[in-house]
Amino acid sequence: MSVAELKERHIAATATVNSLRERLKQRRQLLLDTDVAAYAKSQGRSAISFSTTDLICCRTLQGHTGKVYSLDWTPERNRIVSASQDGRLIVWNALTSQKTHAIKLQCPWVMTCAFAPNGQSVACGGLDSACSIFNLNSQVDRDGNIPVSRILTGHKGYVYSCQYVPDQETRLITSSGDQTCVLWDVTTGQRISVFGGEFPSGHTADVLSVSINSSNSNMFVSGSCDMTARLWDTRIASRAVGTYHGHQGDVNTVKFFPDGQRFGTGSDDSTCRLYDMRTGHQLQVYSQQHEGDDNDVPIVTSIAFSISGRLLFAGYSSGDCYVWDTLMAEVVLNLGTFQNSHEARISCLGLSSDGSALCTGSWDKNLKIWAFGGHRKVI
Amino acid sequence: MTTNGEGAEMEARGPPSLHLSTRNGNFLGKHRLSAAISRLNQEIQYLQEELNELETMEPSSAACKEILLSTEGKPDAFLPVTPGPENAAWHRWFQRVRSPHSRKWWTHKGSSDIL
Repeated sequence: MSVAELKERHIAATATVNSLRERLKQRRQLLLDTDVAAYAKSQGRSAISFSTTDLICCRTLQGHTGKVYSLDWTPERNRIVSASQDGRLIVWNALTSQKTHAIKLQCPWVMTCAFAPNGQSVACGGLDSACSIFNLNSQVDRDGNIPVSRILTGHKGYVYSCQYVPDQETRLITSSGDQTCVLWDVTTGQRISVFGGEFPSGHTADVLSVSINSSNSNMFVSGSCDMTARLWDTRIASRAVGTYHGHQGDVNTVKFFPDGQRFGTGSDDSTCRLYDMRTGHQLQVYSQQHEGDDNDVPIVTSIAFSISGRLLFAGYSSGDCYVWDTLMAEVVLNLGTFQNSHEARISCLGLSSDGSALCTGSWDKNLKIWAFGGHRKVI
Repeated sequence: MTTNGEGAEMEARGPPSLHLSTRNGNFLGKHRLSAAISRLNQEIQYLQEELNELETMEPSSAACKEILLSTEGKPDAFLPVTPGPENAAWHRWFQRVRSPHSRKWWTHKGSSDIL
């Protein structure tokens, strides 16, 4: 077959793909008979009402000398690892505010960090295109530094995000600028599976975030600069289980909803969205009118759900941290307007494992812990 | 599955190298074109499968109902009104904590800065 004939076939196949996508888009639209907010209102629900002193910043963790880029809690409740532009990881006891470890990284351009399920190790990755593992119980070297215990190499682009598989100490998933996600065996340093890359259903741009389903750790979702989120089954690397469209910009953050059947996303398009994992329906858009000109629209950098899923915490480049009522799609509180709030972009946030505290990390170099300190009515 | 068609053109375009002149790379050009066509055909198959799934798929209201049910009935430390049981450990953020490195006792209700 000649090049000209092949080119014709390519054009024809592209046209078929585009037309199928358009049909899919229209068919899906017909299936969206309601969104979460309209349904909740029809069932008589109303928005959560907070008084101004209900959510309190009860700790400020100071110590980084550069922007905070990433944070992660331990499963056993009180410790946090954070990564910063200053080229360090710090492990904090969030309850006492003490720093228990400060790890100076060989490659200072770190973008992500994660705690192992047993709380004994931390992982980080960044512009070195690798993921480094540190055992917190290691003996420090001559310079007082914790030596790296393993380096996971193989990505051909920056490592933007990493997360340990919840019930498995030895497995970790990374996402990268090389458009793939990888499942690693930490003990051997080997790649178990590569998601995307060569295969047609993989991301077509940098993959910025991952979230593993805690109800079923075989499933994880990824968010990308290609404006989509994709669902993967770790047992089937050859194709994505689903691709979720809707966002108009990079998908910076993804997080599973507590019931394990839905997931949330946050994007450069300034919205958060809630998708149904199984059907692919976009169930809700969380979007707020912003003051100021269009060039100033803040991006969503990070999200987390409260333990029941009723609240969606979203951090923005403006320094705002909106608390969304997930059911009513209304902002019920903005932690960014508090007197002691962060003074710059919120880059990361996460909930403690018992859901009693939220930690936010910021370009103002600090981390803050927020908790409910008001009067609680238990029904 | 795909939810709507935004970004379709971008994804289906294929690698940029296909648009280069193939004066010295007709073989490479053919090879890349063939590979791209294979990927597109695979994509067409996936899209058709998804269209078939939509025939019997329930509307969004079913998922909305599940979400409503799943958020209610779970104790949540951040809600002013929450079903029980309340976990006493939720209050630890506002209790006096003795720092192991000093003899100071401090509490943080209503304040933000440490030490």
